[in-house]
Amino acid sequence: MPKQIAIYGKGGIGKSSTASNVAAACADEGYRVTIIGCDPKSDSSITLLRGRRIPTIMDLMRQGMDIREEDIIFSGYKGVKCVEIGGPEPGIGCAGRGIIVAISLLKKISKAIEDTDLVIYDVPGDIVCGGFVAPVKKGLVNEAYVLTSGEYMPLYAANNICKGLSRLEMTLNGVICNSRGAPNEEVIVGEFAKEIGSRLLAFIPKDVLVQTCEREGLSVIEKAPDSAIAGVYRKLAQAIMAEKEAQIPKPLDDKRLRELTRI
Amino acid sequence: MPVKEKEPLIMHPRPSSIVAALYTLRDLDTDVVILHGPPGCSFKHARLLEEDGMRVVTTSLDESGFVFGGHDSLVEVLEKVIKRFNPKRIGIVGTCASMIIGEELHEAVTEVQPDVPVIEVEVHAGYRDNTKGVIIALESALAAGIISEAEFERQKSLLKEATMVEKRHGAASKEYLEPNRGDLKFRVAERLLELMKQGKKGLNILNAKKETAFMFADINLAVTQTAEKLGVSSNIVNMVNLDVNVGLPKNRRNAREVRDELTQKGMEIHHIIGGLDEYPIAGNNASQIIGEKYSDFDFAVITGVPHALPMDNIKHMELFSITNGPRQVVPLKEMGHKHVVVEIDLHPKTLGVNHIVESEFGATLRELAKDA
Ligand SMILES: Nc1ncnc2c1ncn2[C@@H]1O[C@H](COP(=O)(O)OP(=O)(O)O)[C@@H](O)[C@H]1O
Ligand code: SF4
Ligand SMILES: [Mg+2]
Repeated sequence: MPKQIAIYGKGGIGKSSTASNVAAACADEGYRVTIIGCDPKSDSSITLLRGRRIPTIMDLMRQGMDIREEDIIFSGYKGVKCVEIGGPEPGIGCAGRGIIVAISLLKKISKAIEDTDLVIYDVPGDIVCGGFVAPVKKGLVNEAYVLTSGEYMPLYAANNICKGLSRLEMTLNGVICNSRGAPNEEVIVGEFAKEIGSRLLAFIPKDVLVQTCEREGLSVIEKAPDSAIAGVYRKLAQAIMAEKEAQIPKPLDDKRLRELTRI
Repeated sequence: MPVKEKEPLIMHPRPSSIVAALYTLRDLDTDVVILHGPPGCSFKHARLLEEDGMRVVTTSLDESGFVFGGHDSLVEVLEKVIKRFNPKRIGIVGTCASMIIGEELHEAVTEVQPDVPVIEVEVHAGYRDNTKGVIIALESALAAGIISEAEFERQKSLLKEATMVEKRHGAASKEYLEPNRGDLKFRVAERLLELMKQGKKGLNILNAKKETAFMFADINLAVTQTAEKLGVSSNIVNMVNLDVNVGLPKNRRNAREVRDELTQKGMEIHHIIGGLDEYPIAGNNASQIIGEKYSDFDFAVITGVPHALPMDNIKHMELFSITNGPRQVVPLKEMGHKHVVVEIDLHPKTLGVNHIVESEFGATLRELAKDA
């Protein structure tokens, strides 16, 4: 069975950048990788596809297409398989139900989530309803990671996600710190990880290279493979591929969370 | 990429996939079914199914269940069902409400760990064809090891045919079908009697869907009895879809019950054209036999699902069709069936019985034949 992971974290914190760079790094290592964007924003795989926006499952469903595998799975950097679920127009219909329907369609028409080494689910920042945990509940995710910076709000979101995971009795495989340049970030997030019963897997520094590559529609791995930050993503990718330990996270109370950010 | 051929809109309400799943669970001899959804969902059929000995309960999801999820209610109801009814086989059936909010039926089963098989059916009422509800239920039964792969494939192909039958000449054939009470039973029976008296040759065909045979067969029986009374029995050929060796347990049982009663009441069965779940294809078998042997017959009485009989070999005959769907009258007339009679509310009267139930048309024919 492939490694099936989901990366959670506050909106805008860097989940999609991290997911696509990890995907690219794993592809470099020769792994077969599939990335599934579950965010209605559908921007998870854009830097693996040279900036190209691919049709989403929801777009095609809306148009009443008879969807086949080749209509929704696009080959990106070094053969990474890219899928975007998409969603209804903002404020209309039910995006959560959309994810449920898209996931079962994907399961039915494609082997991309079975015949592969790594599947990354890039999920939206807020798990607003039942549909957004469908990949977990349908048994399609077996590892969860939380991405956060050392600031209060992203940590607050990370802690909430831990609450959700522990409710679902889902284990957490590690915390990733994506730096936003706040003081003491690595220490704060390291401590947070320890206290919820997990560990800090990687510290990704804030680097303008991520944004410049993104502007060109490329991952750092592809555009600047020799940069220091590419090295960080590569190490993270190795850590994820080697990862085995996981515990059900123990969320902190709000008071402790605030204290942490003052370290 | 091919655009799916956009299916035309159909405006009249049609059978629900949730209800179809419920009836399928009954055919699989399920003792109790939990509907995971709002209290009023599928109310009428849930009640009727109890006549057939299957209990149906609901998790009664309310506004707060829609918002906060219904997992706890499902666990609670599942535990209560086990305690109260001590069932040997349980079904859990989804509804639109629970499926939209992403309820996982299996989570409750994992939590409660019942030691009897549970058939989980993730279904809602939003499918165009209600046969989808049957297929989903059968898939779960297959997964639970309750039916064989072979039976599953057999059922699936039958359901595909059933869907086609409805599309061609049934409830899914038009954007809107006006309900219609059909022709006056008295007039139709009079005409049928007249033809029999004239010594015309007729086919007497039962092609019924499952338990509806308990009442439709009464009409075929009345035709037989009338012919006997008139001394023209040899003019009538009987064909029935009462094969006792195919289908789910209940369907086989029912086929045997109807067949035995017909035989015992003096009806000779000349041709078995299929089983009680084979109504979508039994018509083809009948058609073939007619083409080979009876193409010169003058009339045909067809009960149950008359629109599943191809017209090729019967179009020159005077057709007497008996259906239980008021929306089936117009399509049958358009096909060329001269007389169409509706046995209103037939289905409820065939639940919870194991013997032939008197039909209005059968009774009318018998009454007229008295003075013949
Ligand atoms: N380590 C980093 N250094 C600098 N910019 C980053 C870094 N990680 C992410 N970003 C930038 O932050 C923005 C939001 O990231 P994104 O991956 O889209 O977040 P999310 O998917 O969590 O909503 C993007 O413009 C991205 O380029
Ligand atoms: S809308 Fe769906 S869930 Fe609601 S009552 Fe009707 S069939 Fe049941
Ligand atoms: Mg994103």
